[in-house]
Amino acid sequence: MSIQQPEGILCSKSHEWVLDEGDTYKIGLTDYAVEQLGDIVFVELPEVDSEFAKGEVFATIESVKAASEIYMPIGGKIVEVNEELINSPELINENVWEKGWLVKVQSDTFAQDSLGLLEYEDYKEEVA
Amino acid sequence: MKKTFLYDEHIALGAKMVEFGGWEMPVQYKSILDEHKNVRENVGIFDVSHMGQVFVSGDEALNFLQKIVPQDVSKFSLNHAHYCQLPYSNGTLVDDLIIYKLENKYLIIVNASRREADVDWFKMNLGDMDAKIEDKSDEFSMIALQGPKALEVIEKAGIKKENQPKFFTISETKLFDFDIYLCRTGYTGEDGFEIICKNSDVVEIWKKLLELGKEFSITPVGLGARDTLRLEAALCLYGSDISEETTPIEAGLGWSIPKDKKEDYNGKKVILGQKNGEIPLTKKLFAFEMLDKAIARHGAKVFIDGRECGCVTSGSISPTLGKNIGLCLISFVGECEDLETSLNTNEKSIGTVIQIMVRNKLYNAKIVKKPFVEKKYVK
Repeated sequence: MSIQQPEGILCSKSHEWVLDEGDTYKIGLTDYAVEQLGDIVFVELPEVDSEFAKGEVFATIESVKAASEIYMPIGGKIVEVNEELINSPELINENVWEKGWLVKVQSDTFAQDSLGLLEYEDYKEEVA
Repeated sequence: MKKTFLYDEHIALGAKMVEFGGWEMPVQYKSILDEHKNVRENVGIFDVSHMGQVFVSGDEALNFLQKIVPQDVSKFSLNHAHYCQLPYSNGTLVDDLIIYKLENKYLIIVNASRREADVDWFKMNLGDMDAKIEDKSDEFSMIALQGPKALEVIEKAGIKKENQPKFFTISETKLFDFDIYLCRTGYTGEDGFEIICKNSDVVEIWKKLLELGKEFSITPVGLGARDTLRLEAALCLYGSDISEETTPIEAGLGWSIPKDKKEDYNGKKVILGQKNGEIPLTKKLFAFEMLDKAIARHGAKVFIDGRECGCVTSGSISPTLGKNIGLCLISFVGECEDLETSLNTNEKSIGTVIQIMVRNKLYNAKIVKKPFVEKKYVK
């Protein structure tokens, strides 16, 4: 996990990150969360076109020991899921910022939903 | 929470610590999957000092043990280990045990979380028998060395292979000049050893084994991989697969129980009755493999033909097989009564498709034979 986190990501206190990519927002898990989970062995992702409000469970990630629910850091409609994770969930451990992303969403509510999110440095301080 | 004498070593090795049976134990060092794999391919070293050691001696030690376990202790040979259970009078389990027969005494290994319950039960059963029960768990530490290269590590440590105890036996010996019990036992399905030593010696033994095990790719292994290893070998975990609510026959441990033991013992009527088929089972532990993509965890509900009929007692991925596996307890009462006849033999049960509820959805699984991964014991 030596790869740097992308510039400009925002993190939730429930350990998801969001990256504004112009048309869509990319969502993943933070390095801290992945470190806590250990080896990830299974990922359940939502269907494309499904919609979630901020704070809703949209995915489940399982480590060897336990299953964890993943919450939407912002509200939005799923436009793409990272299919590669289905057969290679370990990508999240290996490369959480790039290959380990979970979903891309379209969001009309980003402006208000992102108010409670933290910049990466502040997030790290919060969880440390 | 209690700490083992190896606590500082675990922290220095970067372990993630968790609570287990009242102890603060390492769940993993770097990666559960890597640790698991290394035990199957090379060798792993585990701190199992949370396990308890109880010695039983005296003129009536044999009579006492005959009363409390279904196994025939009179047939135990010197320096041999035996897998035993500790039933209540109704046949359900206080604990499961390993009993070693030593010169003039017996050494009983008990589960960490059951130590007090076991010792209380021992004392309650002692009556006026002339036997001494000594719980020495606080004096001893325990290290497990498991995997195909465990023998070589012990040889490198100064005990030649021909002098190492054979499968399921114990020897009182010296390791790096420390007095130890060296046992050819374990909880992974691999060949290997368990080393019982004084608390004061354990740090040095641990460090030396890790050091000279380097050439055999030794790694420390936490409870996370210990759990996936024992599950692949379909070894029961007390508190999950067996409990105060299961008898050894229901748990599929009938192989360890003789039919011809003359002495009476706690729970004999139920245990033997179930073993002989005179008392029908009301539930039974089965091994399953997921057919659909989901991991069934402890507590997940099990369905057969739309009827809820039990729950998962242990469930995980199998790192060796790359499948999701588990054990489940299926009930044969109420609307599931007919399952007793449809699942009562291996021939009938194996291949049966069941459904397991994970996050409110049903996923298919099938009953398979135990163990999931063949044991590598060298007998």
